[in-house]
Amino acid sequence: MSAIPGNKGGAAAPHVELRRVTKRYGVVTAINDLTLTVEKGSFTALLGPSGCGKSTLLRMIAGLERISAGQCFLDGVDVTDVAPAKRRIAMVFQSYALYPHMTTRQNIAFSLSLAGASRKEQDERTHEVARILQLEDYLDRRPAELSGGQRQRVAIGRALVRHPEVFLFDEPLSNLDAKLRVQMRLELAKLHATLHATMIYVTHDQTEAMTLADKIVVLDRGRVAQVGSPLELYNRPANKFVAAFIGSPSMNFLPVGLTAVEGGIATVALPGGRTARVRVGGAPAKAVATAELGVRPEHLSLVVADDANAALRGEVAIVEHLGNLTLLYVDTPAGQVIVEGPGNVSVRSGDTVGLSLREANARLFGADGASL
Amino acid sequence: MTDTALVSDAPPPAARPLVRLRQLDLFGAVVTLATLAGAVVWAFPLYWGLVTTFKPETEIVQPGVHLWPQNFTFENYAHVLMQTKIGLWYVNSLVTSGAVTVIVVVMAAAAGYAISQLEFPGRRVFWAMILASFMVPIPALIVNHFVLMSQFGWINTLQGVVAPQLIAPVTVIIYKQFFDSVPKDFREAAVMDGANDFQLLFRIYLPMNWGITTALAIITFIGAWNLFLWPFLAVSSEEKLNVAVGITQVHDAFGVQYGRDLAVAMLAALPVAIVYLIFQRRVTQAIMLSAGIKG
Ligand SMILES: Nc1ncnc2c1ncn2[C@@H]1O[C@H](COP(=O)(O)OP(=O)(O)OP(=O)(O)O)[C@@H](O)[C@H]1O
Ligand SMILES: [Mg+2]
Repeated sequence: MSAIPGNKGGAAAPHVELRRVTKRYGVVTAINDLTLTVEKGSFTALLGPSGCGKSTLLRMIAGLERISAGQCFLDGVDVTDVAPAKRRIAMVFQSYALYPHMTTRQNIAFSLSLAGASRKEQDERTHEVARILQLEDYLDRRPAELSGGQRQRVAIGRALVRHPEVFLFDEPLSNLDAKLRVQMRLELAKLHATLHATMIYVTHDQTEAMTLADKIVVLDRGRVAQVGSPLELYNRPANKFVAAFIGSPSMNFLPVGLTAVEGGIATVALPGGRTARVRVGGAPAKAVATAELGVRPEHLSLVVADDANAALRGEVAIVEHLGNLTLLYVDTPAGQVIVEGPGNVSVRSGDTVGLSLREANARLFGADGASL
Repeated sequence: MTDTALVSDAPPPAARPLVRLRQLDLFGAVVTLATLAGAVVWAFPLYWGLVTTFKPETEIVQPGVHLWPQNFTFENYAHVLMQTKIGLWYVNSLVTSGAVTVIVVVMAAAAGYAISQLEFPGRRVFWAMILASFMVPIPALIVNHFVLMSQFGWINTLQGVVAPQLIAPVTVIIYKQFFDSVPKDFREAAVMDGANDFQLLFRIYLPMNWGITTALAIITFIGAWNLFLWPFLAVSSEEKLNVAVGITQVHDAFGVQYGRDLAVAMLAALPVAIVYLIFQRRVTQAIMLSAGIKG
């Protein structure tokens, strides 16, 4: 893979760079010939389903995992064979891995103590970190005596105290309850804003990735599916995998026939007889006769069944009222589609409705899954 | 007792659970009495030994059972403390048992760590050898030990007493198992923090398993303190004896003098009893651990 889809040569200097790295565990290939650059000071999220190799990738950057093939650069220096502690990288583990026999103070100062820093320096830097993370009242407690959120902060403090250039987070919020997760998310964003350090953040939660990151790397079975800003991924997914993975509820995919392509606009035949006009990138080969139309639930709207503008007609199967919006599962000739309507929709299951399609936001995917 | 208190606090329960509770209490009482009886039977010889040390020899050999001395005396203890080298034997026991404990614990922890955490050629062979070596009963090797120690010129020296006791495969096995169960995140976090293997062992793995280390240290110490056969063979001069062997020397030197023999026995057992009383729970834990391995 020579070029990464969606990756523009940014202005900021590359800080972490992986060149054609592969990681094999015996016969399992966890990461396959992957190339990636992370700019200095950026907040990059590695996003993907379970088992796609996010942790493996992060651990290779940390130096905890040997790279089977390829190279890892930090600030332009090849660190492929450099010990983890020498990389000026800090990592926050999903389990926090706080040393249970040490107090908060000792946990935070541990790396300094190993490095032989003076008592005074250890104290000063521990207090500085404790102040930033509001841990001052908990310095003499053991991890067992801290709440989940406090433990999380100690884990971050342990990373912070080393003044690392790169922070790695492996699903740091997944052990917290929903409310605390939102709060810690904000604190992480604030931390990134104050420190301007490079942060690489592994998550399988797209909300976390979308809210925190300025760049998201979507991984699919050990390969990069797409790299881009949150909105790029949302609005212009490079392939069906990204389109389906980003956004909740998930994008609808309708099988369509390609009738004409002219001036960057494709005319497609929808199941049920109607047609739609969708913008396409290049000129798809005439040979592509069938494709899939990707439409997000919020880009479909309810109209009366015999409306002339309705792209699809169908029967409502399930209605979910979420208060601010309503999710409708509609059985159409194209299969079941999810429609997002306003909160006060009065449609009931069993009703026949028409669905109008906002063509400007629809995407067309070829048989191989790539965006047309 | 707490059960009844709990019941009276609770809202009035149905009749059946109450009945069952009373039955359980009766059962509990029977069991308590039975174990109490067992404890008395077990403890009586100890008590008998103890009171005997406070009786003059003439009273001891008199027929009849006296649960308390008619003429209370410290003469036996005075004699043993003044006329024998028991003070020196104590020191010898302390030095040898202490040395055995420290060396065994440090060595076993390091070996356990290496087998559990490090990748090196021959690791499996090494592990298999340790597993195999604890299948060999130590007394079966006693002649070899004697020959080896005499070739070293260590017979009748304290280091000669210590050296063969350093073979402690069970301790290594226990450490290995405990280190195996430490989640690898701790190791990786410490590696990221810049720890080398020594720091990992002494600042993460050992402190995280402090309970095990104390338990193993105590049981090793008690074992070394009570060891008889090897020190008995390895040492011939009275100055190098440990307490356990020393007791028998009192017997030899003074003829059968029950009061004195028992006084020495009490003195010899005292440190172990004290250690046990202080660290009761840890000792039980350690015995269960090594029994789990051996059984
Ligand atoms: N030590 C290992 N030995 C063998 N296979 C491994 C090992 N570690 C990871 N793998 C495999 O590599 C692949 C990627 O694993 P990885 O832990 O990076 O996934 P992940 O994206 O972090 O998933 P999750 O979101 O569940 O944490 C998986 O298929 C996994 O089974
Ligand atoms: Mg993971």
